[in-house]
Parts: sequence; structure tokens; C-alpha cells
Amino acid sequence: MLSMTCRNLDFGTRVLDLVAVGSYSNASIVRHSVKYLGKTFTSKVYGARRMVCSRLNIRRTRVFSTNTSEALFDGVGEGTTPVLDLNKEAKSPISLANLFEVVADDLQTLNQNLQSIVGAENPVLMSAAEQIFGAGGKRMRPALVFLVSRATAELAGLKDLTTKHRRLAEIIEMIHTASLIHDDVLDESDMRRGKETVHQLYGTRVAVLAGDFMFAQSSWYLANLENLEVIKLISQVIKDFASGEIKQASSLFDCDVELEEYLLKSYYKTASLIAASTKGAAIFSGADGSITEQMYEFGKNLGLSFQVVDDILDFTQSAEQLGKPAGSDLAKGNLTAPVIFALEKEPKLREIIESEFCETGSLDEAIELVKQCGGIERAQELAKEKADLAIKNLQCLPQSNFQLALEDMVKFNLERID
Amino acid sequence: MMSMTCHNLDFGTRVLDLVAVGSSSNSSIERHSVKNHGKGFTSKVYGARRMVCCRQNISRARAFSTKTSEALLDGVGERTAPVLDLKKEAKSPISLGNLFDVVADDLQTLNQNLCSIVGAENPVLMSAAEQIFGAGGKRIRPALVFLVSRATAELAGLKDLTAKHRRLAEIIEMIHTASLIHDDVLDESDMRRGKETVHQLYGTRVAVLAGDFMFAQSSWYLANLENLEVIKLISQVIKDFASGEIKQASSLFDCDVELEEYLLKSFYKTASLIAASTKGAAIFSGADRSVTEQMYEFGKNLGLSFQVVDDILDFTQSAEQLGKPAGSDLAKGNLTAPVIFALEKEPKLREIIESEFCDTGSLDEAIKLVKQCGGIERAQELAQEKADLAIENLQCLPQSNFRLALQDMVMFNLERID
Repeated sequence: MLSMTCRNLDFGTRVLDLVAVGSYSNASIVRHSVKYLGKTFTSKVYGARRMVCSRLNIRRTRVFSTNTSEALFDGVGEGTTPVLDLNKEAKSPISLANLFEVVADDLQTLNQNLQSIVGAENPVLMSAAEQIFGAGGKRMRPALVFLVSRATAELAGLKDLTTKHRRLAEIIEMIHTASLIHDDVLDESDMRRGKETVHQLYGTRVAVLAGDFMFAQSSWYLANLENLEVIKLISQVIKDFASGEIKQASSLFDCDVELEEYLLKSYYKTASLIAASTKGAAIFSGADGSITEQMYEFGKNLGLSFQVVDDILDFTQSAEQLGKPAGSDLAKGNLTAPVIFALEKEPKLREIIESEFCETGSLDEAIELVKQCGGIERAQELAKEKADLAIKNLQCLPQSNFQLALEDMVKFNLERID
Repeated sequence: MMSMTCHNLDFGTRVLDLVAVGSSSNSSIERHSVKNHGKGFTSKVYGARRMVCCRQNISRARAFSTKTSEALLDGVGERTAPVLDLKKEAKSPISLGNLFDVVADDLQTLNQNLCSIVGAENPVLMSAAEQIFGAGGKRIRPALVFLVSRATAELAGLKDLTAKHRRLAEIIEMIHTASLIHDDVLDESDMRRGKETVHQLYGTRVAVLAGDFMFAQSSWYLANLENLEVIKLISQVIKDFASGEIKQASSLFDCDVELEEYLLKSFYKTASLIAASTKGAAIFSGADRSVTEQMYEFGKNLGLSFQVVDDILDFTQSAEQLGKPAGSDLAKGNLTAPVIFALEKEPKLREIIESEFCDTGSLDEAIKLVKQCGGIERAQELAQEKADLAIENLQCLPQSNFRLALQDMVMFNLERID
């Protein structure tokens, strides 16, 4: 069913954005962590290293001291990490701030560069960009580029990140930001996590133009990296973005949607960019084909896991936590993993969805049905499955605090649905 | 002066579009030719070859018969064409139909390929694309690619166009089309030469998405041409488009705008793409650096000449001829060549413009002042100057009916303001 005019087209990367870009201040990240501490908290743990990561103030040097008695690693070790589920009490939850500390300087340089790239052109564009780049944006995608760059750099004997690594991260963040700006135009969204959207503040024209400008800038920087493999990789992503939007828009309220289709759409809209980022980072580290492929798979699986968690939270979080009404994917007819699983069990749900929620209260009823039919649990399993694959993909990397941080990213994501 | 929200951002390629893309039917092109034929019509002629071109039914074969007694060319000759102004009575005006005959098959293949590239993705996108690709669109930019490709192919001993030549032409047309679609969103235009805009028919979302899709597709095809020089060339264009829009939007109603700024903006918005097209075509023909540079300059000078003529016509044609109210550039605060020249002579014009035409009748008064101050004539000289440079740039090519057709393009453009 194609209905293009009235429905929101949603890029579906909200959780990533929650932590990566926008108005999330440091304060709210800390509150998020504190909430978790309050609960009695068990999580699946991959080896002892996780706790070490969380507790320590990780610096960029490879050697660090710790007070825990858990098995430690010394920065360079063999690839013998067991990928087992060890139910251990977490000493503290992973916070993104800790996770990103190892690349904090890289992220700071990135922020400065992005401001000058965008701001140099025009003051209005600068304001528009500031609106979306925001203060305290967490930059998850660039962080991934930096982490993978550093994690693979050792394999190539590199001491530090190259200019191309940094530029790649900037390109990725510009593409992501451009897509958010256009996304808000497509959605006619007024707010993005507490801040007005570019579209709302400056109008459609500025939003379309700012998005076009950023896409154009990133294409130009990409071309000047002069690496055909990476150029093709990222061009594929931009194509995938557009295809994903179109695919989603074409299948709103379509209850025959299969899980594979959903995964493909999620790949186009979210995982494709992340996969290209991680692979590109490995390419610029001079890593060989098998490593770059593993990094691609890592990014893809991580991205899919993110998207599934994102889709779960749309059902399980309150409007306050989400910053918008709950169940908005479903309301728009965008049928995600929890719904697809629930539809297998409950024919009534199909009826309600196909009615496009014309009756008052039918949306709430649908949400209830999704929860009752175990849609959430099965989606959690799917998220976990992708996360497991992502962890496996990391095994080809030498052990380091960067590799640890990458594992922690995977786990941080899952913790959001515990 | 920065005014982003209320003013149209105009790509300013209207005349090019009049003949290249959209709803101009063949019959209106005929009417145009007939009108010119009726007037006592003299035009600047570059050598005798021109008449040969117009009169003959030029087929793709290199040798053709003719009944005129003018000096003919036989397909391969020396580069001795004088670049003089010879005032000769034109036997018939140049029509684009004739001009493009030599590459008619190439254009037909292009049309088919474009339809399948865009249509394959989604039927709604296809409809949107058909709306803008239109029936009878004249495809000036791809025609330029084909003509330069064929004109330079001989230098490299190529018998026919390569797949890369064709793909380049498709990429160029997709980029141009994408920019038109976004342009209409930025302008909030309802009509593009008698047809509703994509934006009007399908809404902003589809228009933004269709434009993004086409930009993405062209980036991907570009990357897969695997030629770094061309990739960088075209990426620069996309960056220039965005810069041009921003520059224009930032200087609306700014009477201090200098001619150089205007030419830079016209380069960004119009000439950059054409220059990259012609240079790219020469690159894929394997031409050497001096020829590719001359082809770049040719495209640039032709593009600037086009833009100036476009801007003149906005003053001299009636609303009926233009398909919209006359003087719309000026009304929006977009100060083009005729105005810039007139401002040097007439202080009163400055006052009126700076008032942003708040008084009724002030726009008409301004248009009159522009005409009275010789703004039109001086702009015509500017268009002629760029056209002369363009003709010179063609001298490095072997004589052929393709080179002739390129010359005719330059002259066809100028004839529009005779």
C-alpha cells in the first residue's frame, strides 16, 4: 500500500540520535546511568573485561591500572575472549561518556572541524547546523569510526589516526546530520528531543537547502579522499538511505510485511551507514580484506541491533522518556519487529492495523496486543541475536581498550531494553 | 542582506529548461522558430558553415550532401575557421530539433535508460520523475555531453561513444533534474512551464525524497565510473549548486552586488554543471589536458552566456512567452545582469529596489528604468562576450558536424535575444 502524502517517513534512528546528536546534555546522560543503578540489575556479560571498562577512567594509553580483582588484560593479548553469557552483577552500567573517553580528543577535534566546514559558508546555515549538531551531542557514529580506526591501526603499525580517518568521521556525521534535517522535513516534525527542528525554526527551504548543502559537502570531501573503494562504499549508503525511505513509505500499514523486509529496510536506513563507517575506518588503517569485511559485518550487526532496540523502546518507554507519544511508529503505520512478531500470533491485531486506527483507542489496544503476544520478547531476542553476531565480528581485532569499547557499545545498546 | 524565509530561491536555469526539460511541446518550439523567421532577422554568423548546418538534415554520418554553394566542410578539415562577425542573412533560424539531430539516437537511448533507472525503484517515484522528465524535454545538457563526446572521439580514434560517455550524460541529467525538483520545493512553485510541479502534485515529501533519490542515484553511478578526476569534477558541481543557492538567498535586494559576484553565482548555479559535463565528456574520450581544459572553458562560457540570456528574457519577454509574470527575478530581489548595469546609471532604481517594491507599480517602474538605462543592451554585450569566448574554445576540435552543432548551440542561445 502506497500512501505518500499523509504519513510520516521516519528514518528510525531515534535511539542512536538520542545519544549521538542533539540536545542531550551531559546531565541527562548521568541521570540515565543513575536510574539503572537503582534497579537490581543483571545483564548478560561477555567476559570480565566489561566491568573493568565501566569502572575505570580509561585513558588513551594502552596500559591502565585497576582495583578490581577480576581478570584483567594488559592491553595487548591473544584473541581468546570467550563469548559466553556470564550472569554477573554489573558493578555499574556502561555510560557513553566512559565509552567514548578513549576517543574524547578525536571527538572534540571533529566538533570543531564540523563547525568550521558548515559555518564558513553562511551564518544562517551555521545557525541551522548548530541547531541540529547541538551542544553535547554524543556523536556515536564518529565515535565508532575512531574506535575502529584505533582498534585496527595497531594491525597496520599506525601510531595515530590519519587525516583520512578523521575526514571519514566528519563525512559520516555530515551525512547522518543531513538525513536528520531532511527527515524532519519529511516528517514535518517540530521537535527533536526537546529542541525545535531546523524545519520548524527556519522553514522548509532552509531545511532542504541545509540538508542539500551537507550532502554536497560530504560528497565533495568523499571524492577528495581519493579512495575508490570508500567512495563506492559511501555512495552506496546514500543510495540506501533513499531506498529505505521509499521502501518504508510504500509499505505503511501493510500487515503482510515479512521480517526479512523489515531487516532490509532497517539495514538501508540505519545499519548501512554504520557498516560503511566501520569498514571505511578499517580500510584507512590498511587492514586486509578479511578484517575490513569483519568490520563491515560488525557495523551492520550493531546497526541492526540498534534499530531493533529503538523499535522496542517505542513500545516500552513512556512518552516522557521518548520525548514524544509512545507507539508513534505503529501510529504511522510503520510496522516494526515487535508488531511483526505479534501479528504472527494475533489476527485481531491485523484488523486493527488495517483499519489504520480510525477508531479512538484502537492504537492503545494494538499496543496492548503487541505486548500480550510476546512481540517485545521476541524482538529482544532478535536484538540479542544481532548483538551476539557483532561481538563475534570483533574477535579478529587485537585486544585493546578500543576493542573493549566497541564491545561495550554493543552491550550498552542492549541494556537500554533490560 | 539575509532573508531566507520569504523569498524564492531560484536556480535560474529557466531558459535552459525551456528547451531542455519539461513540457515544451515540439509545436511550441516550431512556433518559436517561425516567429524568428518572420522578422527581418540578422544574426552574427561565424563562418559559412552555420547555414549549412541549418539547412541540412544532418544525420550521424560524417559526410552529407548539400545544395548550397557556400563553402562546405567535408567532415575532416583544418582548424582555420575565422571567428569573425559576418553579417549574413540567416537562411533559416537554428532550431534545436536540427541541432540535436546528430545525436538523436543517443538522446533516445538516454531517455529510455533514465526512465528505467528511476522507475525501477517505485511507481510513485516513476510518476514524479515522468512529471519532471516530461514528454518532449529537450535535454540540452546530455546533448552537449554527446556532442562533445563525439567531437572529441575522433582525437582518440574512437568510433563510437563508450558506455561511460552515456552514463555521464545520464548522471548529468539526473543531477539537473534533482535540482529542479528541489528548486520547486524551495520556490514553492506550482507550475513549471504549463505542467504542475512534482511538489504541487505529490507534496513536499515526495519532492524532497525524489530529489534526494536522484542525487543519490547519480552519486552512485558516478562512483562506479571509477574515474577519480570525473568524480571530483562532478562532486564539485553538486557543492557549487548548494553554494549558489545560498549565495543568491543571502544577497536578495542587495544593490551593492558587483558584476563579478553575479557571474560567480551564475557559474555556481548554471555554468558549473555544463562545464563539468563538457570536460567529463572529453576526459572519457581520452583527450589530452589542453583539449579537456578547453572543453571546460567552453562549457563554462556557454553556461554563463545562457544564464545572462535567461536573465535578459525575464525583462524582455511577455508573461505569455515566459509562462509566468515578467520581471519575477527582480520581484524576488534577485538582481541580475540587466539590473546591475542599470544600477550604475540610475540611483532612483536603487531606492525602489531597496524598498522591496512595497509600493504598487514600483516593480513596473523598476523594469522600465532598467530598460531605459541600457541595462538590457549591456547585458546583451555580456552574453555576446561569453559566447565569443565559447566559440574560441571550440577551435581546438577537429572540424566536424558535431563541432558545428556545438557552435550552433552558442548561436541558438544568442538568437533568443535578437
